Amino acid sequence: MYFDIVVIGAGPAGLAAAIKASQRASVLLIEREAKPGGILKQCIHDGFGVVRFGEKLSGPEYAQRFINQLKDTDVKTAFFSFVTQIKRLEQGFSLHYVCKEGVKHVNCGKIILATGCRERTANAISVFGDRCSGVFTAGAAQNLVNVLGVLPGRRVVILGSGDIGLIMARRLTLEGAKVLGVYEAKPVPSGLSRNIHQCLHDFDIPLYLSRTVTRVFGRDRLSEVEISEVDENMRPIAGTQQRVQCDTLVLAVGLIPENEVAASLSLPMDGRTKGAIVDQTCQTMADGVYACGNALHVNDLVDYVSESGETAGFFASQERKPRKLVPINVVGGFGYAVPQMLDLNCDAKNVIIYFRTAQPEENKRVTLTVGDKTVFSKKYARLLPPEMERIAADLSDAQGEITLKMED
Amino acid sequence: MNIKTVCKKVKRKYGAEVFASEDERSVFVRGRAANWQQAVEIGKMFVKKGKHVVNDVLPQGFVPPKPMLPKVADDKLQGTHWDVAIVGGGISGCAVARELSRYDLKILLCEKHGDVAHGASGANDGMVHAGIDLAHQCLKLKYVVKGNAMYGEICDELGVDFVREGQYVVFTSRLIKLLAKSYLVRAKKHGIPGVSIIGKREISNVEPSVADFAVGALKIPSTGAVSPYKLTIAYAENAVQNGVTVSLDTAVLSMRREGDKICSVTTNRGTFTADCVINCAGVFADVVAEMAGDRYFSIHPRKGTDLLLDANAPNAPTHSVSLAPTLKTLGQNKNTKGGGIVKTVDGNLLLGPDAVETPLREDTSTTAQSVNGVFEKQRKASPKLSRSSVIAYFSGVRAPTYEEDFILERSEKVKNLIHVAGIQSPGLTAAPAFAPDVAALAVNYLRSCGKTVDANAGFCGKRQKPVCTKGMEEDSLQQLIERDADFGRVVCRCEQVTLGEIKQAINNPLGVATVDGVKRRVRAGMGRCQGGFCLPTVLKTIAEQKGVRLSQVCKGDEGSYVAAGEIKSGE
Repeated sequence: MYFDIVVIGAGPAGLAAAIKASQRASVLLIEREAKPGGILKQCIHDGFGVVRFGEKLSGPEYAQRFINQLKDTDVKTAFFSFVTQIKRLEQGFSLHYVCKEGVKHVNCGKIILATGCRERTANAISVFGDRCSGVFTAGAAQNLVNVLGVLPGRRVVILGSGDIGLIMARRLTLEGAKVLGVYEAKPVPSGLSRNIHQCLHDFDIPLYLSRTVTRVFGRDRLSEVEISEVDENMRPIAGTQQRVQCDTLVLAVGLIPENEVAASLSLPMDGRTKGAIVDQTCQTMADGVYACGNALHVNDLVDYVSESGETAGFFASQERKPRKLVPINVVGGFGYAVPQMLDLNCDAKNVIIYFRTAQPEENKRVTLTVGDKTVFSKKYARLLPPEMERIAADLSDAQGEITLKMED
Repeated sequence: MNIKTVCKKVKRKYGAEVFASEDERSVFVRGRAANWQQAVEIGKMFVKKGKHVVNDVLPQGFVPPKPMLPKVADDKLQGTHWDVAIVGGGISGCAVARELSRYDLKILLCEKHGDVAHGASGANDGMVHAGIDLAHQCLKLKYVVKGNAMYGEICDELGVDFVREGQYVVFTSRLIKLLAKSYLVRAKKHGIPGVSIIGKREISNVEPSVADFAVGALKIPSTGAVSPYKLTIAYAENAVQNGVTVSLDTAVLSMRREGDKICSVTTNRGTFTADCVINCAGVFADVVAEMAGDRYFSIHPRKGTDLLLDANAPNAPTHSVSLAPTLKTLGQNKNTKGGGIVKTVDGNLLLGPDAVETPLREDTSTTAQSVNGVFEKQRKASPKLSRSSVIAYFSGVRAPTYEEDFILERSEKVKNLIHVAGIQSPGLTAAPAFAPDVAALAVNYLRSCGKTVDANAGFCGKRQKPVCTKGMEEDSLQQLIERDADFGRVVCRCEQVTLGEIKQAINNPLGVATVDGVKRRVRAGMGRCQGGFCLPTVLKTIAEQKGVRLSQVCKGDEGSYVAAGEIKSGE
């Protein structure tokens, strides 16, 4: 079996990539789960698609729009299928995957990684204590409630004010649990402002900043958590510990791009995004391997995930000249910026750069310069790390150093 | 030293008033200490050759915590009679049960938790030790050397993965390298095979991560790695296959003695009688001995914490490595080998363990102090390791006696009681070797009472290895999936575990159907996401396979429910 392109992962990024790529190429879309949609399947709250469709959809509704489109394409799909091996051939790649029929082998010209992200765990953020039940990542808790139809617990502490944490605070409240508070180690909330209002304020759920969970107690089931105040470096301050009685701790403490496949291909990675380094076409530093969506960097809105999927799908389906890569330099208080590279031998009329600041910033000007020519400039009244920014610029025929700068 | 002199020494050193007496077997100490650490140190001062220590020196106002007990109370075992009853389902109890199942005997193993290997056997680094750290003849040395040599065969028989990839103890100074020659002499004397000292170039080639600071290394090729809980489970399952009854959630609460014999044993599931009782109770071994009126040793619990690294941790060593003690550290902390970086049988690295004396026998909680301490200490052997590679950490509580040696003997006072106590590291390595000897003690005792003990004609020591699709040849995997499509459905993406393997784990011979039970048997949830993705499927599969509600499925012991109820259940 041969396909021009294999897309790994049928979440929002993979769906968009496969649909786009199928306009010019033969495509196989491989998905680990029974159905396409990725994590959207369990996101039954609304707010998806505001940028793309101008309406507030639920996760499954948003996914369904792409699934419907997929039906009109020639994309071959393989569900319940798990990629076990990718090998580089002289031309293209060979790929093995396991499914209900056995072990399948396919060859392909290009690969698009749309493997999404995973959640950071209690151990990853140094929560210590007993080995009891009742500690969940937010995604697992969400699956329990929205897919399995069970309530994780009745008295809940949520650590992390990222969007998933806020949404779970509301969701668990609606299902009859008492959410005692959302605790955030940073001095500012991590989630979108709209979620702070709609999920916490509207339900009188307190938000405690500069505090974290340092220990869990419980013989069989969680019975208490220890909360500590943290200093400016987010380290717990001794002597500030307080105990809160609860049976459930939900952790919404960050997402990490899933990149096991990338690791097996030894792709150069960006330590800040934890995803692969890519050019403006989402092609990684390995020819023929593309990465998009949350596997590339963790997005705040699914609309951008789909967008990067389309970018990857579009360019992967094109004939590409050998690349001429130059770096996009980043100067100033950025958390990260994607893409990290520009291919001068490829279309650069509409280069989309996603970035986040490292810290909350006010009255900053972000400029994109090529040599001494400014191609983009915008003053931002406020920049917040949780809110990803997107800029589009024409970088055609770029001569000279490309620099993305943040200054007063 | 005379015990009265030791009492005076204690008084001088700690200002603590302690009283000591002794009989032929033990020194008995009682009194008050300032804190637990001091109490343990006082106990150690009374250790002398040929005697055990029973230490009742306690901190002022110390109230020992109540032991965890199973929630269940029924009469499952009421009025039953057993030829042999084993107390404790750790590596010792399970290995002894399996070795005893070679005989035509009615055998009961009681484990108070919902699965075997709940204590130290489930929470150690899985190193199969060579025994190089032991200087003098003792039971530990005898059985560690013998046990190490048995590992390939026993793991093969029981269908458990085992690798023997050796271990490197790295020297950072020429002086230490010179002194290390004594290890070669020791290895030869104790029969530890293949030990050699290698130079800077060789160690830098084998393990480039230490090249910057290594001047050489002690190469110990016989060191191996096994999954400690998988081996314990395998022993228990093979015992069950050969007729042993494993009663989980069963805590021994008391014993009744008539003359010099235990005549009945009371548990939360009824009172039974047994001709012979084997104490394999780990951190509670002295408590069980006390129940039989035979407390002639003390267990002082010692907690150890290990850190598990991601299988893809960058800049990680590829072998088990540790730093040789320097002159500065040589004198400290004699009761641990100092830990190290251990390559597990699954290919992950473990850092640790440390050693912290604790009065809490069942406290397996982790602390910032231990986790950070272990990381900083072990990172010295691999300075480029990153903290973000740590995906999990866990603690176990060792069960040492003050003499720091194993106790493997029939009680002098209680004729039908055998003690398997003080089994701490390298207990896992030693168990395959001492279990047959313990079984022989029991059989010889039963025969001495006039009982005919025949071989178990149906005994089969071979346990079928559970299916593991990860790393399986594609042809075999294809055939397997054609037979059962569940083996083609990967559920745990980090560890690549299929639905078929999870179902197999749920339907195990011990009847353990918990999330942790699945995790330990097939590694679902063991990887970098720590079960975030596979938990819902594991939960659902357990509920389906066992015909229970989702909210009835537990993580581990009863009470550790995962879901509190159905949504909007109105409860």
